[in-house]
Amino acid sequence: MTREIKFESPSFQRRIKGMLGVDFYRLFHTPLFYIFLAIAAIIPAMVSAMTVMPGPDGSPGTPLYSNVWQIIAASESLYVICGIADYANMNMVFIFGGIMVSIFIGHDYKSGYVKQLFTTHAKKQDYMISKTLACAFAMACMCISYFIGGTVGGLLVGYETEVNAGSLILAILGKIVMSLGWASFYTFLNVIFRRYFGVSIASSFFFGTGILIIGAAAIVESLGAPAWFLNVFLYGASVNASLASHIGSFFVCLAVSLGWTVIYNLLGTEILSKSDVY
Amino acid sequence: MNAIEIRNLSKSFRGMYAVDHLNMTVPVGAIYGFIGENGSGKSTTEKLICGHLVADGGEIRLFGRDYTDPGVRVRVGALIENAGCFPGSSVYQNLMMQCINLGIENADEEITRVLGIVRMEENANLKFKKCSLGMKQRIGIAMALLGDPALLILDEPINGLDTDGMRIMREILVDITKNYGCTVLISSHILGELEKIATHYGVIRRGKMIMELSAEEMEKSARVFVSLKTADMQGAYRVLKEKYADVRREGEYVRVYDAEDSAAIVDLLMKNGLAVSEISKNKIGLEEYYIELMSKKEEKRNDA
Repeated sequence: MTREIKFESPSFQRRIKGMLGVDFYRLFHTPLFYIFLAIAAIIPAMVSAMTVMPGPDGSPGTPLYSNVWQIIAASESLYVICGIADYANMNMVFIFGGIMVSIFIGHDYKSGYVKQLFTTHAKKQDYMISKTLACAFAMACMCISYFIGGTVGGLLVGYETEVNAGSLILAILGKIVMSLGWASFYTFLNVIFRRYFGVSIASSFFFGTGILIIGAAAIVESLGAPAWFLNVFLYGASVNASLASHIGSFFVCLAVSLGWTVIYNLLGTEILSKSDVY
Repeated sequence: MNAIEIRNLSKSFRGMYAVDHLNMTVPVGAIYGFIGENGSGKSTTEKLICGHLVADGGEIRLFGRDYTDPGVRVRVGALIENAGCFPGSSVYQNLMMQCINLGIENADEEITRVLGIVRMEENANLKFKKCSLGMKQRIGIAMALLGDPALLILDEPINGLDTDGMRIMREILVDITKNYGCTVLISSHILGELEKIATHYGVIRRGKMIMELSAEEMEKSARVFVSLKTADMQGAYRVLKEKYADVRREGEYVRVYDAEDSAAIVDLLMKNGLAVSEISKNKIGLEEYYIELMSKKEEKRNDA
């Protein structure tokens, strides 16, 4: 049988809609997303509870925080972390999020499903954009989940609740906005290490916990680099989203997040286009 | 217009050519049997066509368009190495994801249709990891069939299938080319099965295409032989060997190659007191054709 074969080039929107649709379908139909939402809620509640637990000798615990909202964001922008309380805020979502992104993208490769995606999508950019957006959405949801868990935990422990509501909202929005930048960064990392599932998880963890970032920051600082340089290229401006946030710091988060997204998407697309994908 | 047209395609890994200036032409509507030994470059060629690998050089055109054209690529279905399904998701969910990926609007109907083609309607809710190898291969075919593909690229799709599975797969492939006008590029080591469905063949060796021909051309150029059985096989072999250039013992039979006149063979044996109990005139199959072709290439290489 011979039939006329017609080929219609799908528009950019249609291509992205297809790939995003798959990613969101996977997100909502597999346990991974829900597990990480639960982790994001439980961890801050646990941290709050643990900090007031009595010691082994019965001595009263020393609360790490004085205020519920310090579990959500640091009191001010901190570039050098001195204690666990400085880091144990919503920035932790960017650690769990990194691991979630690694598992999410790693399963694309482990299952071989990525072959279906790359067979039907000639443009590698589609893959980068879709993964970034889906993972950013998941991380943003984890921020909200963290907020709920942290608030409930803090209130149950009995921390104070006094706060500048505007700064708190801007801090939360700043973290949510930074989810996009971090998701693009982790997607990029996972594209680099796509053949090595374990390495991609490890790299996400080390970057997320700041082990590599702090190391790199020490080197960059010793070279006399200014704070804004560290902020833009290493910290991802997430430290700007603090309880001292104002509209300006929010826009810094937004600009850095968008900047990261563009840069890492371009780099990831370039890598996928120039190298064997599977 | 050809479904696949490849010119001078090359791909190397660590300085070794896996595909070496390969040329290939697959006509629209063909079932193209892609044959070659292990490591000859079949899968690499297929991955290059699907855009999984980046070529060192050369040109790939699908239906007259560059292979990176999104319009043509969205009409390519592939099963390369494995089905590419998420093990923890059900068959239905895996197919649904591919429907979403391809932007298929009536996804449920489409899933039912392709599951019907691969005879797996009953297993839609089974988790992919619980499926047998044969079922996984069929799901891989179903995935590739979604969205009315114009070209199917199948890498060893009948590997691991039982006899019944192979028959089903054969019927599926013939059905989709006849009824849906799909072009199929299929690689397989099971040449007997390939022979039953292929309309064209391409033989690859050490990354180079050494021969392309249609099934009709192969039929015409295939050597004929007379196969016979007598009570004294050793005697028959000796007598025939004196007159004919290529006589071989094949199990319980003696084969006389390039012999057109079976009556003359019977006469010769009768004159030597050997009664023929069975005799038939045949042509060599794909497997023997391939083996002979490879032996000739190897001889040439050794001579060189």
